Amino acid sequence: MIDEDQLNFIKKNLMKYLMEDYLPFPVNKSVCHEWANGLNIRKGGATIIYTGCSYQLAELGKKFDEVLPTLSKFKGVEKFSSFLKVFYKPKDTRSYKILRNIASILKSSNVDFGYLYEDEPYSGTILLEMGMMDEFKEYAKKLVQLFDSYGVKRIITVDPHTHYTLYRIKEMNSSSWNVEIVNYFELIKNVKVKGEGTFVFHDSCLYSRFLGMRNSIREVIKNSGIVLKEDEMVTGKETSMCCGGPLAPINKEISDKIARNRAEALKSVHNKVLLACPFCYANLSPYVEAYDFAEVVSGE
Amino acid sequence: MSDWDIAIKRGVEHNVPRVFKVLREHPYLEDLARKVREGKLEVLSNLDYYIEMTMKSVERIGGKAYFAENAEQAREIVGKIVGSGKRVVMGKSMVAYETGIRKYLQSIGNEVWETDLGELLIQLADEPPSHIIAPAVHMTRERIRELLKEKLGVDPGDKHEDIVKVAREFLRQKFLTADIGITGANAVAADAGSIVLVENEGNIRMSSVVPPVHISITGVEKILPNLEYAIYEALVQAAYAGLYPPTYINVTSGPSSTGDVEQKRVSPAHGPKEFHLILVDNGRRKANEDPVLREALLCIRCGRCHFHCPVYRALDGKWGDPPYSGPMGAMWSGVVYNDYKPALLCSHAGNCREVCPMKINIPKVLEYLKSKYFMMKAGTRER
Ligand code: SF4
Repeated sequence: MIDEDQLNFIKKNLMKYLMEDYLPFPVNKSVCHEWANGLNIRKGGATIIYTGCSYQLAELGKKFDEVLPTLSKFKGVEKFSSFLKVFYKPKDTRSYKILRNIASILKSSNVDFGYLYEDEPYSGTILLEMGMMDEFKEYAKKLVQLFDSYGVKRIITVDPHTHYTLYRIKEMNSSSWNVEIVNYFELIKNVKVKGEGTFVFHDSCLYSRFLGMRNSIREVIKNSGIVLKEDEMVTGKETSMCCGGPLAPINKEISDKIARNRAEALKSVHNKVLLACPFCYANLSPYVEAYDFAEVVSGE
Repeated sequence: MSDWDIAIKRGVEHNVPRVFKVLREHPYLEDLARKVREGKLEVLSNLDYYIEMTMKSVERIGGKAYFAENAEQAREIVGKIVGSGKRVVMGKSMVAYETGIRKYLQSIGNEVWETDLGELLIQLADEPPSHIIAPAVHMTRERIRELLKEKLGVDPGDKHEDIVKVAREFLRQKFLTADIGITGANAVAADAGSIVLVENEGNIRMSSVVPPVHISITGVEKILPNLEYAIYEALVQAAYAGLYPPTYINVTSGPSSTGDVEQKRVSPAHGPKEFHLILVDNGRRKANEDPVLREALLCIRCGRCHFHCPVYRALDGKWGDPPYSGPMGAMWSGVVYNDYKPALLCSHAGNCREVCPMKINIPKVLEYLKSKYFMMKAGTRER
């Protein structure tokens, strides 16, 4: 069930890419910040929007998980990475649209923020989620230094994994890292966003059970005009299940089985699924009609 | 859908709403759960003291108490009490499975029968259990029918009731002619030396009362400060397992006795003439010294976390080292087998933490075990 070669491969290469480039894969960095082109967001500042490259890399990450078992058996593969870093630019227009929408909703509600563009780092989520805690702590130090060097005091996150990761980093450095971490859902609580249609909501495990945002997110969704179908056995706090995403680097097959199970359960409630996490989307969308919240609403 | 998918779907659909209902209808259970957690923490913060107190209490009431450092010692102790050529009936015990008691007793020439229906099916199929309180949860009734037909030579038919009847008739004879009964213990009361067992089938009652010798084997973490807490533990375990009120709660304090002749307490009476309690360590005291792993020792084996875990449900019940499965099993594989690999499969969905009556932060324990796995691999630290 667990392939040790694969784990070793991840452990070795992931850390290398992260320490060199603040990214978990060898890929051209522009894929992370291109979404912001033309939006006139200032660079840096005390408050920044921080994507952690989650939306932009979710689909690519999925492909990576698919090839991992083969890749990890293939000696010398590391040599290709510097080549990929320069040229490999998988553009994900859907994720760009989502991020642009989030930024414009925030702007229209007078939230002032900057962005780090090419200096924006990946959050380190995968290290935390795989339990590589020593590595995570090491990488976290680098992140804190980077944010500090920009004088960042407030970070607006847009996805649950990045948010939770920063929350953990802050917990680890409680006395020394003086930043506020706030999620965009919290900022648009009292803002009018417009959406329509009926959906079943697939909760992100992190938002719902680890960050205590289950009810507040539902409120934002409902205030937008969207109707949510609920079922205690499928969408309850204790019963709603994982999309399988975090297991993909360890075992793709189990991860997919979890995704299929989840999709079946959701479909029994409603055929259209709303979610608010790029990894949930990447895992569930092959099996259900899925939409990110930020892709079906707009600011008023 | 595979057999597992069908079986677990049915299991979840029966169990999950029932537990919600029980907790809604009896809100005092949540208070009791809180007390059990407190009681267990009190014992764990002074474990050696409570082990000693328990052993003294057992001896005081006419029982015999033993401490087994590891599985091998546990087998040795049981082997000495049982000997060979005996018929042994066993009420479900995870620690008996952990220490390999059934197979060991068979290997030294005893006839041994599991009497919990699920465990009996596991024994007949010679398979590891897939759930801590419902060990045969992976078997559909169609599969069970085939198994009984093959192993007991009787076709029970397709109905749940008839399947249970065939097992009942088979086991009745074993109970009545057994020399030794072996059970676990849901809780052990340090002040009284009593063990508390909760069940529904009645097999534990029979195993602990009909044969002339009763052996209870359990982990040191099952000790609670006193009998009040021990009984609470049984109520809480039953409720969160979804079977509330439990059909039976058994309190056993030493061998059977009577005070009917001039109020002098004499032993034995109708029940066993010998009572033995074996407290097993097997990694528990070491885990207790670690503030993160200590949490795992609070588990009361209700099995609720299993039904809420997406990984367990996707994995054919084969997650963790038997008999420890599911989220609690991924923790316990670390505690007793030093196996940290199962923890790597935790997807940190967090449902287990939400539903655990002991409020164990299971994802946190598993995250810690994952990090121990990587540290061990890197050879940077001792495991
Ligand atoms: S970890 Fe909690 S929910 Fe799981 S079996 Fe133990 S007590 Fe029950």
